[in-house]
Amino acid sequence: MRLLNYTKQLLIILLSIFTLSCEDMVELDPPSNQLIREEVFNNEATVKSAMTGIYNELFQLDFSNGYRSSITTLAGLSADNISNISTTNLSRMEFEQNEISPDNPDNLNIWSSAYNMIYITNSFLEGINNSQELDQDFKKQMDGQARFVRAFTYFYLVNLYGDVPLILSTDYRENQLAFRTPKAEIYDQILSDLEQAEEELALDYENGERTRVNKNTIRALMARFYLYTENWAKAEELSGQLIAENGTYELLNDLNEVFLANSKEAIWQISPIGGNGISTQTNEGNFFIIDPIFSFFAAIRLEEDFVEQFDTEDRRLLNWIGYNESKDAHFIFKYKIWNSTEYPIKEYSMVLRLAEQYLIRAEARAMQNNLTGAISDLDIIRQRAGLDLLADLNPTIEQTELLDEIYLQRRKELFAEWGHRWLDLKRSGRSSEVLDDENSLWEDTDLLYPIPETERIKNPNLTQNEGY
Amino acid sequence: MKNFYKRGMLIIMFLLAMALLVMLAMGQAKAASLSTPSLFYQQPITGTVTDINGKYLPGVTLLVKNKQYGTNTDLLGNYSINANAQDTLVVTSIGFKDVEIMINGRSTINIVLEEDISSLKEVEINAGYYTTTQRERTGNISRVKAEEIENQPVVSPIQALQGRMAGVEIVSGGANPGMASTIKIRGTNSLRQDGNYPLYIIDGVPISSVPVESNSLLSTSGIDPLNNLNPANIESIEVLKDADATAIYGSRGSNGVVLITTKSGYKYGTGLEARIYTGVSTVPGRMDLLNTEEYLQVRREAFQNDGVEPDVNNAYDLVLWNQDRYTDWQEYLLGGKSEVTNANLSFTGGDENTSFRLGGSYFTQGTVYPGDYDYRKWTGDIALNHLSKNNKFRLNLKINYGTDRNNLVGNGNLDPSIILLPPNAPAIFNEDTTLNWEEWGAAGLTNPFEGFFNTTSTHTKNLTSNVLLSYEIFNGFKLKSSLGYADYQSNELWKLPARSYNPSSNPENNSFHLSTGRRSWIIEPQLTYDKKFEKFHTEFLLGGTFQTNNSTLSSFQGSAYASEALIGNLSSAESILNAKSSETEYKYAAIFSRIGLNWDKKYFLNFTARRDGSSRFGPNNRFANFGAIGAAWIISEEEFIKNNLSILSFAKLRGSYGSTGNDQIGDYGYLDSYQATRGINGLYPTSLANPDYSWEVNRKLEAALQLGFFNDRVNLGLSWYRNRSSNQLVGYSLPYITGFTSVQANLPATVENKGLEIELTTLNLDKNNFSWRSNLNVTVPKNKLIDYPELEQSSYSNTYREGYPLNIALLYDYNGLDPETALYTVKDINNDDKLDFKDRVIIKDLNRQFFGGISNHLSYRNFNLQFLFQFIKQEGIQTNFQAGINKNVLSSVLDNDRYQRYSASFLGGKSYRNVLESSFPYEDASFLRLKTLSLSYDLSSKILDRVNLKKAQLFLHGQNLWTITPYTGLDPESATSDLLLGNLRSITAGLQLNL
Repeated sequence: MRLLNYTKQLLIILLSIFTLSCEDMVELDPPSNQLIREEVFNNEATVKSAMTGIYNELFQLDFSNGYRSSITTLAGLSADNISNISTTNLSRMEFEQNEISPDNPDNLNIWSSAYNMIYITNSFLEGINNSQELDQDFKKQMDGQARFVRAFTYFYLVNLYGDVPLILSTDYRENQLAFRTPKAEIYDQILSDLEQAEEELALDYENGERTRVNKNTIRALMARFYLYTENWAKAEELSGQLIAENGTYELLNDLNEVFLANSKEAIWQISPIGGNGISTQTNEGNFFIIDPIFSFFAAIRLEEDFVEQFDTEDRRLLNWIGYNESKDAHFIFKYKIWNSTEYPIKEYSMVLRLAEQYLIRAEARAMQNNLTGAISDLDIIRQRAGLDLLADLNPTIEQTELLDEIYLQRRKELFAEWGHRWLDLKRSGRSSEVLDDENSLWEDTDLLYPIPETERIKNPNLTQNEGY
Repeated sequence: MKNFYKRGMLIIMFLLAMALLVMLAMGQAKAASLSTPSLFYQQPITGTVTDINGKYLPGVTLLVKNKQYGTNTDLLGNYSINANAQDTLVVTSIGFKDVEIMINGRSTINIVLEEDISSLKEVEINAGYYTTTQRERTGNISRVKAEEIENQPVVSPIQALQGRMAGVEIVSGGANPGMASTIKIRGTNSLRQDGNYPLYIIDGVPISSVPVESNSLLSTSGIDPLNNLNPANIESIEVLKDADATAIYGSRGSNGVVLITTKSGYKYGTGLEARIYTGVSTVPGRMDLLNTEEYLQVRREAFQNDGVEPDVNNAYDLVLWNQDRYTDWQEYLLGGKSEVTNANLSFTGGDENTSFRLGGSYFTQGTVYPGDYDYRKWTGDIALNHLSKNNKFRLNLKINYGTDRNNLVGNGNLDPSIILLPPNAPAIFNEDTTLNWEEWGAAGLTNPFEGFFNTTSTHTKNLTSNVLLSYEIFNGFKLKSSLGYADYQSNELWKLPARSYNPSSNPENNSFHLSTGRRSWIIEPQLTYDKKFEKFHTEFLLGGTFQTNNSTLSSFQGSAYASEALIGNLSSAESILNAKSSETEYKYAAIFSRIGLNWDKKYFLNFTARRDGSSRFGPNNRFANFGAIGAAWIISEEEFIKNNLSILSFAKLRGSYGSTGNDQIGDYGYLDSYQATRGINGLYPTSLANPDYSWEVNRKLEAALQLGFFNDRVNLGLSWYRNRSSNQLVGYSLPYITGFTSVQANLPATVENKGLEIELTTLNLDKNNFSWRSNLNVTVPKNKLIDYPELEQSSYSNTYREGYPLNIALLYDYNGLDPETALYTVKDINNDDKLDFKDRVIIKDLNRQFFGGISNHLSYRNFNLQFLFQFIKQEGIQTNFQAGINKNVLSSVLDNDRYQRYSASFLGGKSYRNVLESSFPYEDASFLRLKTLSLSYDLSSKILDRVNLKKAQLFLHGQNLWTITPYTGLDPESATSDLLLGNLRSITAGLQLNL
């Protein structure tokens, strides 16, 4: 009996130790290389790092990195400026031929990376807005930047795909079955994000780095937004504000300096610092330049009939276009560095620059019948390209002709930058006429890319665009 | 802080309690004095005990009949005892028949013991927290002993188990020393590749079985975490398989448990053992490839058939290169010999109460590849056992330390695909031993040995230590505690000198650094109580586990060193890049218990249970219960069998059912967290978080029969099992609009493994100094994905199929050669003019159909011969039939209508691509392999006495000596690719001396 008692006592002691300690024994502090979301947003330093994370990821994510699956490459191929050197890359060929199949992997890359960025910005916005610890002014600076990136991403999604799901939270349970939201509502959201950001942000670049979003960056995108939504007065007003900042921004006379890091022409750039830490060239430089020794890597060329459109003395032809003999191909040479491991980083990937603002204002003015104003803006671009001024050549140019000239200058100025040509063709209604000529397989439904097939399998609420 | 305090208190309380116990035990030990027998009228009697082959038997017990004392033989079978001339000696030893010998006044008595096969069933088997015997076990436990492991020239002891255990599949990691083998116990349970590792326990300390990360050539398989263990210091390896044996390991027992017990001190006198062997290893397999003439002929025909003009770009081998040059790239790459040497020294001693063992070893092995590289390992071990004189207090201490250095060529390109280079390809090296860039570069190629001067040096250290303290408070009532500490460190330096690379690309001197650490401590207090009531025997166990694991990983890159000599010296690097570090913690706490009951050693019941808490799971799902019931009935103890079936010497029916879990899912998966971006100074979210996820559950059912015939000369074991692993933790597939493509979650998917295991041991002959015993094991496994809701939409939709095994290939239906173009064709099943996964209707099972081993052990006088045949029935893949492309191919394509005739065109390439994804490349990869062969000779005692040695043995050992297989790839064991190298062929010779 004594033995049983003893056993009982011991058991009781042992069990009580366990019940006391078991829960605690498996409690963990988070690991040193991860931070719990709430903790990230309790402290200014880590919030800043999360903001830097957004900028870094813009250089990593496909849609924005300027590489193989970027909007710059793929939307570029959809239009008439560039084409594939090798026809064996089926996926990129589909973009060139405007025959994108719903299971096209590059198309999925754009979509998935853009929505990944939407998640990152949503997570960031939820984080700072739920945080009680942060200073209000600091919060505003952060909020504005994240809202801008979200609006920027939606801007491309809606322009490439039409109606897309509007995701503004991080809860996958709620979002996994989202429907497509009408384009107009997405535009409302973009505008409200931009307007709020414009109020919140300061005018300076943080540390003078033009990779950081400030009030002017917002205005530059808003100017484009109003141009696309045909609010000409607003477009003129906002681009005018940018152009007026002549201490901060100017068109550079040496075209070889335009795409340098923090060049005076840059309104917003993405830095290769977000890459792997070793390579410091831009992806555009690496992917578009045909290096004489490593020409077997070459993937993208400029279309010859586009190159032929340049006057022989056009500085853009002389400075921004290269030629490789072994491939007998012209190539994009806006970025000069093919491969680099050097610091400080010499070139940043350009997203928004002053030349576009002149072209926006020219178009907005032309649409409002202020042809002289439009000509004077356009001539600033022509003059920098080393061309004769329109004011001298043809001061009485008609509105439609002038608009054609503006579009031509947009094409020559902004080629191989963020799919400008593709979006211009779409919004001006010129795509059918231009691309029908170029491409026998053209159909008007090709204006919208297909919603990726796997996405529709996983979320049956997503409808497909017409023609796919 | 609160947690820390509580934990600290717990540990302190625990240590105090143990200290108290130790003091108590010491006191009692002093108080109890053993009564020594009166020595009057006695004379010393000495002699030796041997088996019928004349082998000395240590540890044999000799008792004087009807008197309460006795002795044991020492390491050499010698004994000495005092007894009266009329006394009788009772001689007993496990595995031998008892003998009674009348002294009859003799003073020297040499005793020969006869083997008793049936008593082998009484040998203790380690079941982890308790021990059992072959006879009484209710669960399925396989065991491999020291003698089967110690002479094998392998780095990790896991490799030594190949072919020896039913239900255990081991595939070698590759030909480089130290590569991690994969071990699967009873099939693939988890849908996740990395969720199928068993639990390793060395002397009671759990060790992570996940291979250690590496940047070196070991990276394909990872580094085997058991490399630092000395195979010669292993006493036994037990593998626990069914629910009855594994449920006590709860959430970690799902994939089986490997228990490694290292050697202990020897109780019977002092001894020194030295053993050394040395030999060579080579790559045994070769493929039958084309020579230059044949190769060029095939290439020319291909261009002719396609109407394509060969030029410098598409046919440098025809246009540019020497047409008469011939290099046998197989010999060039794989023809090397690797030397292997192992030396072991151990010193052991002790008496009834205290014993110790000190051991050390050195192992070195080269590589078969070109270049001067090697693997070196040093180990040391200490074992100490103490039992107080009153037999109440027991202490077992085991410390194993090992360190190794693995020097390898630091070049990921140096893989076996080099053997497929065109046979007239240019030389790799210039005459001045620099890499030949010019000739290769002229063809637009980079030298395939690019990076050849890179080196990796992987240095690992491993300490495993355990103390087991036990005190018997009352008769049958014990308080035990096991305290373990393990520390594993790996440091790797990968040097990339500029001269490894083409000078025209302006290469720099770089280095990569990687270090990993795994530290864990574990405390397992336990109470056990054994009680016999007449025929009813009970055993109780109650215990707890507290474990913490700490893993660290850090890596960075040093770049642009000024000179090659400075590589690795970080202060001379221009910059340090890509620095990464992570530290993860894993905590685990559990209560476990066992109740073992038996009636009259005839009916057995075994209940095991465990309640687990693991930090790997979401806060809402931290705890779970596991348990099993096992039962056995020894039918042969029943009178009706005893009386009626005399040839049946043993018969046991046993069965078990229970649940185990699998918590191998990485740490912190449930946290909604931010990590560092690849770019500098950024943070971002990398995955969706699910706070609710939990472990996979594996429900195991087993039924088995053990039979012994003819006085147990023939033993047959049959086990049937069915394991169902459910609640599968997988990436639950999501649309990208949620930000990511999946979230970790438990799905009601179920994987079933069932099978039959047959084990047969026979004593074929045993007379006239000759004995021959055989062992056969066969496993027939069957793996099946029973259920996976919404598989179609998941990321596994093109990997798995419901109703089929996990390890399958989804293939096109091969449709023969096109009659017009003579190109391969595959069927477009849905006629949509596209070939995609919808057309892949052939489902190829890549699992083994059955596998096993036959081992034989023959001994005649001083000679011993052991050999093991391993056999596997399976299919493999052979893809080197793409005649016409710029790679060497199997010579069988020359005169065989089965193959496409040499096309170098775009269409030809496309048809090759498609046919590789069809059933066409699959062939029978079954094999029978002479896995090990060991011959030893023991010097006779006459010689030994003269040179004052206790034992001397010469031995020869062969590994993977001979293979018969229809498979045409390099190694049928790794038939998932024709270019994979598995085990090396080794022949070693050695010598063992005992002083």
